[in-house]
Amino acid sequence: MFSAMVKKEFLLVLRDRQALMALFIMPAIFILIMSVAMRDIFSQDAVSFDIAVVDLDKSEISIDLKTDIDDDKSFNIVDIDEAEFIVEIPKGYGDIDDSSNKHKIGIKVDGSLKSDMIEIFKAKLLKSVVNLRLDIIKTRLSEFSDEAASSIGSVSLSATELFDVKYNQSDDIPNSTQQSVPTWIVFGMFFIIIPMSTIYINERKQNTLTRLSSMNISVFSMTLSKIVPYLFIAQIQVWVMIAVGMFVVPLFDTPALEINGSVLALFVLSFSLSISAIGLSTLIAVSANSTEQATTIGGISNILLGAIGGVMVPKFIMPESMQTLANISPMSWGLDGFLDIFLKGGDLAMVLNESLALMLFGLIALMVSMIILHRRIEGGF
Amino acid sequence: MIKVSNVSKNYGDLKALDSLSLEIKKGSIFGLLGVNGAGKSTLLSILNGLSGFDSGSIEVFGLDIKKDKKKIKEISSIVPQNLAFYEKLTVRENLDFFSKIQNATKENYDRAIEINDLSKILDQEAGTLSGGQKRRLNIAIGILNNPQIIYFDEPTVGIDPKSRNEILDSIKSYKDLGITVVYTSHYMNEIEKICDEVAIISNGKLVEQSSIENLQTNLEEHFLDVTEVGNV
Repeated sequence: MFSAMVKKEFLLVLRDRQALMALFIMPAIFILIMSVAMRDIFSQDAVSFDIAVVDLDKSEISIDLKTDIDDDKSFNIVDIDEAEFIVEIPKGYGDIDDSSNKHKIGIKVDGSLKSDMIEIFKAKLLKSVVNLRLDIIKTRLSEFSDEAASSIGSVSLSATELFDVKYNQSDDIPNSTQQSVPTWIVFGMFFIIIPMSTIYINERKQNTLTRLSSMNISVFSMTLSKIVPYLFIAQIQVWVMIAVGMFVVPLFDTPALEINGSVLALFVLSFSLSISAIGLSTLIAVSANSTEQATTIGGISNILLGAIGGVMVPKFIMPESMQTLANISPMSWGLDGFLDIFLKGGDLAMVLNESLALMLFGLIALMVSMIILHRRIEGGF
Repeated sequence: MIKVSNVSKNYGDLKALDSLSLEIKKGSIFGLLGVNGAGKSTLLSILNGLSGFDSGSIEVFGLDIKKDKKKIKEISSIVPQNLAFYEKLTVRENLDFFSKIQNATKENYDRAIEINDLSKILDQEAGTLSGGQKRRLNIAIGILNNPQIIYFDEPTVGIDPKSRNEILDSIKSYKDLGITVVYTSHYMNEIEKICDEVAIISNGKLVEQSSIENLQTNLEEHFLDVTEVGNV
C-alpha cells in the first residue's frame, strides 16, 4: 500500500514541470549568475584600477615610478578619458635632495568611486612610491656601506611575502562558487513548497483526501508517503547544484566548486535540510486554503527566511544584532553547515549541531502539520 | 440494515442534521432527496465514518459507527460529488493506485473497468477525459474494494443526458450484485428511475421516508413540502 502511495507522489511531482523548473533550473541559474558575478570579489589579484599617468617631471625617478606602475598588475594603463584615477607626477618630483615634500603626487579620482576603493588605490600606489624611495636610499647607502645597502635591498613590500593569509583555517582560498552554491542550494530547497502545496490542496479541493480518508488511509501514511519522494528529490537537487558548481560554472571562466570537507557530513546535512524544508512546506500547504495562498505565503516566507538567514546578504557583513537575528532562520543553519563543509573542510562533528537543529525543526513542523490535517479531515476541511 | 436514530450535527449555530432518523434496507437503492444545503452530504459523510455527529446513534449492518468506524469504512465506499482522482495520472494509474491502497482483487479491478466502460481510455490522462468519462472513472474507483454499501453524492452533476443515463444504468446494476446503494440527488426523476425507497430531507430534518410507489402517489404534496421548507 505504502509503495503505491509513494509511486503516486513521484508520478505527480515528475509531471509538474513548473515545479521541477523552480526546484532545479532556478537555483542552477542563480548559482551560475552569482558565481560569475562575484568571481572578481573573491579573486586574490582581482582588484585592479584603470589609471592614466601624467609625468610632468620627466626625470629619471619619475620615469622609474611610471615604469613601476606600468609593471604592476593592479593598474591598467588607459587613456585619460577612460581613467578612474589620473596620477600626476609633478615637476620637480625627481629632485631627491628636496626634503620639503612640496612635490606631492596628484591623484584625480572618478567621482563615482567609493572611499574604500580610493584607500586601496592609495595603498597600492604607496607601495610603488616606497619601493622607489628604498631603491634611492639603497643606492646612496652603497656609497658608504655595502652591508647597509644590502640590508635595505632585502626589505620586501610584497604582501605575499609579508603576510600569510589563511581562509577559515584552510590553505585553500574560498572562491565565488563555494560561496554561491550553498546559498542557492539552501534557498532552492525551500521552494519544495510549490509542488507540495499544489498536490496537498488539489487533494483537498478535488475530494481525493476524502476518498483516501474513507479508505482508512491514516494522516500519518498520507504525510509520510509525501515525505519520501520529496526527500529523494531534495537529495538529487543538492547533488545537481553541486555538479553545476563543479562542472558548469568553470565553463564560464569561473573557479570550480571544491568540496574540502566530509562527503558524509554533506549527506547528513542535506538530509536534515530536506526534512526542514519539507516540514515547513507541509505546514504551509496544509494550513493554506488555496494553491495561490500557499505559494504566496511560501514565497514570502522563503524570501524573509533567506534575507534573515544570510542568503540575500552574507551574514559576515551584517551588523552583530542582525547576525544574532539570523540564527532564528533554518536557512541560516543550513548555510552555516554547508559553508563549514565547503570552506572549512568540515566533518560530521562540525555540522552536527546544525543538522540536529534542522531535523528537529522539520519534525516539529511535520507533527503540527499532521494535527492540522487531521482536524481538517474531521471537520470536512 | 442501516439504522440512523435521532442523529444531530451542528456546525456552530447551524443545524446540519436535526434529530434525523431513517432506515435503509440491505440490498436496496435508497434515495436521499433534498435541495442544496438540506444535509444530504453531511449525512453521507457521517454514514461513511468521515465526520462525527453530536448526538444520536447509527448502526451499519449491525456495526456501531462510533466503535467500528474502521470496519465500516472497509465495507463501504463513497463516490464524492467532486471528481476525486488525480488528473495528472492516467485512468490506469488512478485505478492501480486506488486498488493497491485497498488491496483490491484483480477480479474487482476488471469489473470496475467493465461496468464503467473504461477499457478504451485506460492510458488517457484523467484530466483530458470528457465530463461523462470522468464521472465513470470516479465511480469505478468507488467500487474497487467490492463494497457492501456505496454512497453516491450527486454523481451526475454537470454531465450530458446520455452520460447521465449510462451512469444511472450502471448504478442500478449494483443492486444485482447485492450492493446497498445510497444515492443523493436533487433531481426527482433520477430518484424515481433507480431507487426503491426515498427519504426527503430539508433543513437537516426528515420530511418523509417511503417507497417510490407511495411517494409517487403523493408526489405533488411532497414537492410542495420540500419547496416550502426549502424556501424558509
